Amino acid sequence: MTGPVNTSPRTSLLAAYGPILAVALVLALLPLATTANTVLNAMVLALLIALAGQGWNILGGYGGQFSFGHAVFFGTGAYAVALLQSRLGLNAYLAFGAAVAIGAAVGAAIGFLSFRSGLRGSYFALVTLAFAEVFRIVANASPWTGGASGALIKLDMRPENFQFASRATFFWIALALVTAALVATRMMERSRFGAYLVAIRENEDAAKALGVNTFRVKLQAITASAAVTAAAGAFYAQYFLFVDANIAFGTWISVEALLVPIVGGLGTVFGPLIGALALHGLAEATKALAGRLPGADLALYGALLVLAIAFAPNGVQGLFNRLKGGFSTRRAA
Amino acid sequence: MTKLITGVTRRDALKAGAAFAGVLAMPGLVRAQAAAVKVGVLQPLTGALAFDGQAGQLGAELAIKAINAAGGIKSLGGAKLEAVIGDARSTPEGGTSEVERLAAENVSAIVGGFASPICLAATQAASRYDLPYIVDVGVNDQIVSRGLKNTFRFAPGSSIVSAQALDNLVKLNDAAGKPIKTVLLVHEDGLFGSGLAKLLQAELPKRGFEVIDTISHPTPARDMSNIALQIKAKNPDLVIPSSYYGEFVLLARTMQQQRIKPKGIYAVLNGAASNFRFVKEFPDAAQYVIDTNHWYDPRNAVAIALKKEVDGMGKFFTYNVALNYSAMLLLADAIERAGSADRAKIIAALETSSFDKHIMPYGPTKFVNGQNTGAAPVNTQVQGGDIKVIFPEKFADAKAVFPVPA
Repeated sequence: MTGPVNTSPRTSLLAAYGPILAVALVLALLPLATTANTVLNAMVLALLIALAGQGWNILGGYGGQFSFGHAVFFGTGAYAVALLQSRLGLNAYLAFGAAVAIGAAVGAAIGFLSFRSGLRGSYFALVTLAFAEVFRIVANASPWTGGASGALIKLDMRPENFQFASRATFFWIALALVTAALVATRMMERSRFGAYLVAIRENEDAAKALGVNTFRVKLQAITASAAVTAAAGAFYAQYFLFVDANIAFGTWISVEALLVPIVGGLGTVFGPLIGALALHGLAEATKALAGRLPGADLALYGALLVLAIAFAPNGVQGLFNRLKGGFSTRRAA
Repeated sequence: MTKLITGVTRRDALKAGAAFAGVLAMPGLVRAQAAAVKVGVLQPLTGALAFDGQAGQLGAELAIKAINAAGGIKSLGGAKLEAVIGDARSTPEGGTSEVERLAAENVSAIVGGFASPICLAATQAASRYDLPYIVDVGVNDQIVSRGLKNTFRFAPGSSIVSAQALDNLVKLNDAAGKPIKTVLLVHEDGLFGSGLAKLLQAELPKRGFEVIDTISHPTPARDMSNIALQIKAKNPDLVIPSSYYGEFVLLARTMQQQRIKPKGIYAVLNGAASNFRFVKEFPDAAQYVIDTNHWYDPRNAVAIALKKEVDGMGKFFTYNVALNYSAMLLLADAIERAGSADRAKIIAALETSSFDKHIMPYGPTKFVNGQNTGAAPVNTQVQGGDIKVIFPEKFADAKAVFPVPA
């Protein structure tokens, strides 16, 4: 794990946040360039996964605590937003906020239980996997969550219900959430807390010896991480208006949430976004290339993924940096 | 600009050549054919539900072939139907993405979905475009209870199926002299299994049956011997299993190996009990199993010919084939009566449909809030390596063997 960490207070604000704003602005112009809802829907999905991955990246990328069960936070957010509306009649925006808070609370609870027991590495990974599975089974069996038939948010397409006729509106909201998460990650990276977190990733015992309260820092990290991933889950439910146990707590989202930062660049601000756009772009491109043969695009996607990982072992961002390095050496020579 | 021959530039020559090639390649255009009507065929072609999805696609495509062979849509000057295939990848997001693509490709309507979660998401995505959507299977009752104007379900939902299953069980039992007193429920803990088990637990005692145990199992499950042993110990008159394909096949085979022979196995919406693959591969375990499920009308000549065609292709004639075939015919009839490929006009035509040329054991189609109230399941029974309809009598092609001879 060699994410570039920039904690120097002298780094200007423009250098720190300028790229985030530039990327957000460029992406925000997309609905003006295309009115094709196919493209917008694919972008919303990619941003949603990017958001889930950004949550994972805080804990896994910066803190080195690999979770295999981020579905537990995604699903909590998704179910919370659906059930608070359908069962308790809460306003959609309030429900969204509450879902993020509930997700954070679940994160804190799981973090408290596992970090207090000193679970590290593969043991921590296994325990998160188990939590996700327990939540899935409970959601699948409990009548309050709608059991196996899932929870439905009533279709009532009005802005005050957080339901929009235009995909572009959803796209901008997803982009705003991703941008907020990018800014928060950059702030964290520049803060003392971020430095502690990276210290824990690099050597937890050394960090502890230097006086870092590792339990507290890890607990804060998992809470923040859970909140961001829960926001992705809540957005999913609000976008599709339907969740069931396998969508919310299934392994697919645990895998997606860790895949995008790993592909994009572990422990970097832009890693999850780059990874999500690259993976989903690749998926869409192979779909268009493969044509009508069912499954051919998935096979092509898999092959390209293997190649990408073989030639860019440090993620897409790592590849950029390597290429940039290569060019500058050549220029110097 | 280079001149090839005097007065003719290379660009002109290329243009003429291209135009000529175009005429050669598309003779249809010269004949002024009526524009084809595009229809979306959305199925889970990859992923966990691929077996069902591919069967559904086959049914829809065979229907389109039949419609086009019979002269296409006559009110549109013999316009052909053209399938645009969408792969929902067995997930709701996959279904939604494909609805977006199909809508962008200007399809006039969509048929399919198969699984309830896919149908829930896909119908809603289609409703943004007022794009008519005919659900082929998806039994979850919420699909048609959301007030979506574009959504129509041709097949019965789970409440219709389970009510029918209970009524028919009582009738079967009464006709045989009430041999069944005790019932044991086996169900998978997912989608319909749990819900159905809860309903049966409440309803069976009201109809004079004693539920002596309810056993749930996960999907997938790799071993059924514990459940078989419990059945053996409780020794119920009737076993009601609600499971997917693999688990029920396993249970039926385990019960056969351990020589557990209740007076009957009466399934509801079972994944295997009315599947030719199960009957073909394990004829002994499948013998006399009764199911309440979607099924084609065995007395319908078109259905018999279609089954022969599908058998000839080396594929299984599952209910997905029959349902999608019928749903596509229903859509073609609506387009015919609408006299237009316009989405709103097709929705209006579906709302007033009384279509009865389908191959299902249903009466004329009549949509109330998007649900076809003419739809009903049937009871099938495996008899001598074949699947026969035993109930209702109007469509039956065999008598029930009930209770099972010891």
